[in-house]
Amino acid sequence: MFKFSILFSLLFTTFYSFGQKKFTISGTIKDEATGETLIGATIRLKELPQNSTATNSYGFYSLTAPRNDYTLLISYTGYETASRLVSLTQSHTLNISLSAKNVLKEVVISSNKPNNDNVASPQMGAEKLNMTQINNVPVLLGEKDILKTITLLPGIKSASEGNTGFYVRGGASDQNLILLDEATVYNASHLFGFFSTFNSDAIKDVSIYKGGMPAEYGGRLSSVLDIKMNEGNNKDYTVQGGLGLISSRLKIEGPIIKDKGSFMISARRTYIDLFFKASSDTTLKGSTLYFYDLNAKANYHFDDKNAVYLSGYFGKDVLGLKNTFGTNWGNSTGTLRFNHLFNNRLFSNTSLVYSNYNYVIQSFESNDNFKATSKITDINLKEDLQYSMGNNHTLKFGVNILHHSIAPGDITTSQASSFNSKHVEQRYGFENAAYVSDEWRASDKLTILYGLRLSDMMLLGPGTFKTYDAAGNTLTSATYGSGAIVKNYFALEPRISASYMLDDENSIKASYNRNTQNIHLLSNSTSSSPTDLYVLSSNNIKPEIADQVSTGLFKNFKDNTYEFSAEVYYKWLQNQIDYKDGAQLIVNQDVESLLTYGTGRAYGLELFLKKKYGRFNGWIGYTLSRTERKFNAINNGDYYPATQDRTHDLSVVGIYSITKRWTLSSTFIYGTGNAVTYPTGKYNIGGLTTYSYSGRNGYREPSTNRLDIGATLEGKEHKKYHSSWTFGIYNVYGHKNPYTITFRDSKTVPNTSEAVETSIFGTAIPSITWNFKFQ
Amino acid sequence: MMNNVKKIIHNYHIILTVFALITSSCTKVIDLKLNNAAGQLVIEGNITNISGAQYIKLSKNVPFTNTNTYPPVTGAYVSVIDQNGKNHFLTEVSPGTYSFNTSGGIAGNTYKMYIQVNGQTYQASSTMPATVALDSVTAQNSAFKNSNNRKDIVVHYQDPSGIANQYRFVMYVNNIQIKRVYTFDDEFSDGKYLSLILNQNDIDIYPGDTVTVEMQGLDKPIYQYWFTLMQQQDNGPGGSVTPSNPPNNITPDALGYFSAHTTQSETIVVR
Repeated sequence: MFKFSILFSLLFTTFYSFGQKKFTISGTIKDEATGETLIGATIRLKELPQNSTATNSYGFYSLTAPRNDYTLLISYTGYETASRLVSLTQSHTLNISLSAKNVLKEVVISSNKPNNDNVASPQMGAEKLNMTQINNVPVLLGEKDILKTITLLPGIKSASEGNTGFYVRGGASDQNLILLDEATVYNASHLFGFFSTFNSDAIKDVSIYKGGMPAEYGGRLSSVLDIKMNEGNNKDYTVQGGLGLISSRLKIEGPIIKDKGSFMISARRTYIDLFFKASSDTTLKGSTLYFYDLNAKANYHFDDKNAVYLSGYFGKDVLGLKNTFGTNWGNSTGTLRFNHLFNNRLFSNTSLVYSNYNYVIQSFESNDNFKATSKITDINLKEDLQYSMGNNHTLKFGVNILHHSIAPGDITTSQASSFNSKHVEQRYGFENAAYVSDEWRASDKLTILYGLRLSDMMLLGPGTFKTYDAAGNTLTSATYGSGAIVKNYFALEPRISASYMLDDENSIKASYNRNTQNIHLLSNSTSSSPTDLYVLSSNNIKPEIADQVSTGLFKNFKDNTYEFSAEVYYKWLQNQIDYKDGAQLIVNQDVESLLTYGTGRAYGLELFLKKKYGRFNGWIGYTLSRTERKFNAINNGDYYPATQDRTHDLSVVGIYSITKRWTLSSTFIYGTGNAVTYPTGKYNIGGLTTYSYSGRNGYREPSTNRLDIGATLEGKEHKKYHSSWTFGIYNVYGHKNPYTITFRDSKTVPNTSEAVETSIFGTAIPSITWNFKFQ
Repeated sequence: MMNNVKKIIHNYHIILTVFALITSSCTKVIDLKLNNAAGQLVIEGNITNISGAQYIKLSKNVPFTNTNTYPPVTGAYVSVIDQNGKNHFLTEVSPGTYSFNTSGGIAGNTYKMYIQVNGQTYQASSTMPATVALDSVTAQNSAFKNSNNRKDIVVHYQDPSGIANQYRFVMYVNNIQIKRVYTFDDEFSDGKYLSLILNQNDIDIYPGDTVTVEMQGLDKPIYQYWFTLMQQQDNGPGGSVTPSNPPNNITPDALGYFSAHTTQSETIVVR
């Protein structure tokens, strides 16, 4: 509470320090061709360079300055910088459209200078990805993938080859908050992680925070991946799509009422199962295997002050074998948002967000038929406000009420089945939060972003709630009525980061943040599985807590065309969760009796060199890090490397526009192998060779490395029609990266054992995609 | 149930092999430098409900790279105490194998094992459950790889209602043991008539093969031991648990187990 009062006294003493008469200019920044709002565009006054701001998630900006005539400069990566003469004699609105720039022209336009936002902003540990770049990075089977592309950034590691799971600064994969238009996506993978649920056609903006999380985000320890969908072209109708090796895409967008409202519908479906139909194998002939995604969004602007947005996502994986089994799983989300401008300094957004993840597993065989289902549903009501105070302070504050309902598992069976029907009690809870933050330009050199998030987690009845001792025996059991509070956890999460400009192109930054997490993924398999189970903090499970400090040097050179940063971080983790040996997590009422709790720590150095502009662009990212966990029952209670501990991690991305029509791209990755547990001996038990182990994660898998290349050929320019070809080769030199290493009795030398390495990708994998667009 | 969900996940992978063909997945035998923590005591103690010799075998584990021959631990003092406090001394009938004769263990009785070896005393206890009858063993066409009438083996039995039961199955095809652990409890099937497929891809079974299935009734700690091993064998895509030495009923720590269990077998010729 002490920290809290300091924060508020700080806020209010600065509130009333207005001097000279000031006026505000505000408005929305859009793409000229499509009318899409631009997120994070920079607006500055040429005459007062320190006085700058950036557009928020809705493209809105507000800038306040003393009475004068100014040149307003508006810049955004990939767009021509615009300038407007403004006479600030009264507050007014100015909406500006920027035109996308032709990369090849850029080199000759010297006036179009990149800015130094990355150096000046107090935000650290964050990266914004440009969709053009994502679209150019070569990928597996031509399926553009945001989640795979972000793992090419320092501090973000891919869970395994070909997998969309990721770890941020030593955190577990369930410690990432993945938001699609503010809705939590619980399972962001298709097909066991080979593809992500994000169809890049429908995506407008991707931001990832791995440290220094702004106070408006909360609920997860390690990172925030904030993904925003396209709003749709409000000028013209366009149809675009692509035919790839394993899937096809189609997107339709256009105005509902020109310049007032637009819609976008984007869909994707795989057709791997067509190969099955052609197979002579009867098993495969009867098999089903596909996934699809549907993204839709519509918006309407009533006037300059009021706008409404409705967006949704629906995706599913379907897998089965005729008369044997069938499964499906997927997410659905929906977001209804209302923007309101109270005045040209106070922006408000109200959101009602729905999110659902569920799975169904069915066995059709007569003697062991069953249907197992599980689902998690969230409803979140949010109010976010942004207030540009005009005296070097921008305030953000808001509240949200998030209701979870989790059905961990239900089994229904027929009378003839070998199984009984079973029901595990649903769990309900509220995760409520309030936050306030202030970005304070304390001087020309020093900017401080500080804030506080108050979070409260309430576990609610009805149901029977137990507590367990360390051995998993029931200690107490109590029954609660509907809506009764079973457990309440309140947490204060301070967040602060600051940047100090050494000169125009160099700064140092530091940050501290605390994050808590009250929803936890239980999964004792090593890869993404549809049977992922979420549990809320409870009598047994305490909120996970992470404290992170980081500091770094940020440097731009060659007129801000190159960005370099070096960041170091240290993170302390409390109340981490692991499973006892032989834990049976599926449809288990007493699942919390199978858990053990420990701590963790992670630290590292991240180096990042990026060239954002020009015909040749790309980046090099390198991470040196260590990630450890500590549990009483494991390795004598000593720290041991977590599975995702990766000492070295290197990514190189290069994109080169050779001509107007040809763009080449390439990525290279190298990483230390995962920490794994291998046998240290063997014995015979029950007639089987059995392996003995001494301790957890004492070994390393072999290191991984891979080179991918891609090329895009743009079709000739037509007025109404455009097409392009994308070619790619994944794993160019056919490196066999380890996926799993298993141990078995030798198949060749009797009476001995062997280690077997499985690689998913044993050779180079070519791909080709044809893309088209009509307008 | 756990097993059936695993089975379905396993079935995914059969389908995913098609995907693997596209992506050219491959396996290779590799050399690994593994630490050597050999020479630990391994105890395999079994008391069954069948009249005759009962065996407790003592051996040591060996480095991974050795051949599968395990040095016997000889000269140990081994005894089993039954429910009535009667002490049965076991004699070493061959190096590392200790034995005594009984008229068979009795359901509900708790047996205690004492072993003294190299100045250390190990003990464990296990309770023999009531016998649940194995109804039958049948063969049916496999849902996967079913060309040439490849068969799956199904075991049928009635689970008694209202009590917790744990089972383990051991399967032999033409007298060769299938390299898989099969263990089930009745968490999801209490009181049901069960027909469980013993999934495996170790030896393909075709008409004409002779298949023997042994059904064991286990107590809970021993089930947990086998269940942990069963979870660890499901490695490969789709994931496995982090392996470890399974928890057992022996104190102080030693590898292996001491199990008082019921046993019955049935042999069929697959048609």
